[in-house]
Amino acid sequence: MEQLDRIATTTEPEAGAAAHVAVWDPFVRVFHWSLVAAVLVAALTGFLAGAPWIDLHVWAGTATAVLISARLIWGFLGGTYARFSAFLPRPGAVIAHVRTLFDGHGERHLGHNPLGALMILSLIATGLGLALTGVAAYGGILKSGPLAFAFSYATARGFLEIHELLAWSLLGLVAAHVAGALLESMRSRENLVRAMLTGRKQARPGDCRPPARRAWPLAAALSIVVLVAGAGFTLSALAKREIPGVPTAALDPVYVSECAACHVAYHPGLLPRDSWVALIDGLADHFGEDASLDDATTGHLRGYVMANAAQAWDTKPANRFTRVDPAAPFTITATPSWKRIHRDIPDTLFASKAVVARSNCNACHRDAASGHFYPGNIAIPKETQP
Amino acid sequence: MKPTTIGAATGIAFILALAGIASAAGGRDTIIASYAAAAGEPLSAERGKALFMGTHSSGKPDTPSCITCHTDNLKGPGKTRAGKEIEPMAVSANPQRYTDPAFVEKWFGRNCNSVLGRECTPLEKGDLLTWLSSL
Ligand code: HEC
Ligand code: HEC
Ligand code: HEC
Repeated sequence: MEQLDRIATTTEPEAGAAAHVAVWDPFVRVFHWSLVAAVLVAALTGFLAGAPWIDLHVWAGTATAVLISARLIWGFLGGTYARFSAFLPRPGAVIAHVRTLFDGHGERHLGHNPLGALMILSLIATGLGLALTGVAAYGGILKSGPLAFAFSYATARGFLEIHELLAWSLLGLVAAHVAGALLESMRSRENLVRAMLTGRKQARPGDCRPPARRAWPLAAALSIVVLVAGAGFTLSALAKREIPGVPTAALDPVYVSECAACHVAYHPGLLPRDSWVALIDGLADHFGEDASLDDATTGHLRGYVMANAAQAWDTKPANRFTRVDPAAPFTITATPSWKRIHRDIPDTLFASKAVVARSNCNACHRDAASGHFYPGNIAIPKETQP
Repeated sequence: MKPTTIGAATGIAFILALAGIASAAGGRDTIIASYAAAAGEPLSAERGKALFMGTHSSGKPDTPSCITCHTDNLKGPGKTRAGKEIEPMAVSANPQRYTDPAFVEKWFGRNCNSVLGRECTPLEKGDLLTWLSSL
């Protein structure tokens, strides 16, 4: 205890230099800049890059959740300035602090000032909210991750909306946080960004300092390891549970030999039952070709597609492509949703030698046969000459 | 494995492969012979070639010719309109061709209707297979 106090207030040896206090310990600094990196990656992949970047996005979100959890533990077991008890402000303190700012003689806090502390709490809460709604949406919509068993597509759409709302809020908070740090740097004539890199701030008379507290690094490290390992274990156990509404069986062999002769075998989950009936009944004039079959085979195929049509599944394509274009009731690539999802892809890519046609899902979706169409399995072919 | 065992295994594999090719050829010859019998006329590879390579206007507009999909290089792969590769049609490049009567009939049924707008006659089918088998 005494020793730590001494370290925390060690004065700079250089002559003439102002005395410095070690405010941000290494954990807080590493946490801060790692969080910046994780949130930056999550924001870039979430807002700008397309769906194919989903895996990196999920990793960045996971890293954010792990970092925040570790920070929460350090908030109880860390040293003086890392403790929540040192900066959790009472509402009165926030109001008083704001008032001193307008008075023009605002007090100087060595740790987080009350407004800064509010910001830290909001950032942590929003980050956690993003991770939780993210994993729920990932589970219900893409049928992946630990909560894939838990939520339907419809429920998860709600989580996705909250996730997007929180993402925009986080952008706003980050902007306010940066602005606050810069303004406070000017007001207190001290570079706070550098302080978050070096950990040190000048010691000045009249500084508000929280009561000195001892850090428990070993206990903290142990708690973090136990928490992360426990969460990892639980989540991977959950991820192994059976996922309702996702096709797992291989395609019917007759369907594959008859319906994959001219193109990829479209999973029956990609269109609703009415569409399949119309398609099977019209095989003699099928997209400008004769694809007719004998009655026995037609009957078999009808039974198979009826049992496995979109209504039987809860995947994203099964939910999205059920609304068909009435003028082309069994053309997947004519459904409004298919067109919207693929609107950014240039015609030249579809017409290229490696793709040939929009209907050639396999050219870009490595898991097309399974009917999943997980965005992490998209690989756009390189060759683009027509 | 002893060298004699390897030798024996290779020998058996070789015989089996030969037998496979022979029975494939046998299946193909039987199919062609049955078209010839139904046609009641000698078959002509020349007529088959002309039909296959020609452009027709009586069928569906997207498929004016057999070579729309099979291409004019029959020893190489073709491509469907949806971008899927079709195995080569020339028997020298694809020995399994024209050995399953039901498969041959199904595709003659579809492709003649798509390209010509009608069934192919046994004579036309026999001509086509005679030419395609000689490639
Ligand atoms: C003789 C060749 C042929 C056969 C056999 C065939 N199709 Fe097709 N199919 C086509 C062509 C050509 C298209 C149009 C592709 C395009 O426009 O790019 C198509 C398009 C489709 C589409 C719409 C794809 C899109 O663009 O959204 C579906 C669905 C489909 N076929 C299902 C089937 C099913 C089911 C069977 C088996 C009963 C089958 N097809 C058999 C040739 C065939
Ligand atoms: C030229 C390549 C290409 C072809 C061909 C293609 N797609 Fe896609 N598809 C993409 C890309 C790229 C995306 C991601 C778009 C984005 O960034 O949101 C995508 C996204 C999707 C998604 C949404 C995935 C998700 O969860 O975000 C579905 C479903 C889908 N495609 C279905 C199909 C089907 C069905 C076909 C065939 C009828 C098809 N695609 C053909 C490139 C292609
Ligand atoms: C729309 C594309 C298309 C057109 C046009 C087309 N074919 Fe085909 N053909 C196919 C496909 C696809 C197959 C089956 C795939 C395979 O054999 O690997 C096939 C198979 C065949 C077979 C059976 C091969 C075998 O191994 O038994 C014959 C014979 C055949 N075609 C002849 C013709 C003839 C003759 C024409 C013109 C009258 C023609 N095709 C036009 C796409 C086409």
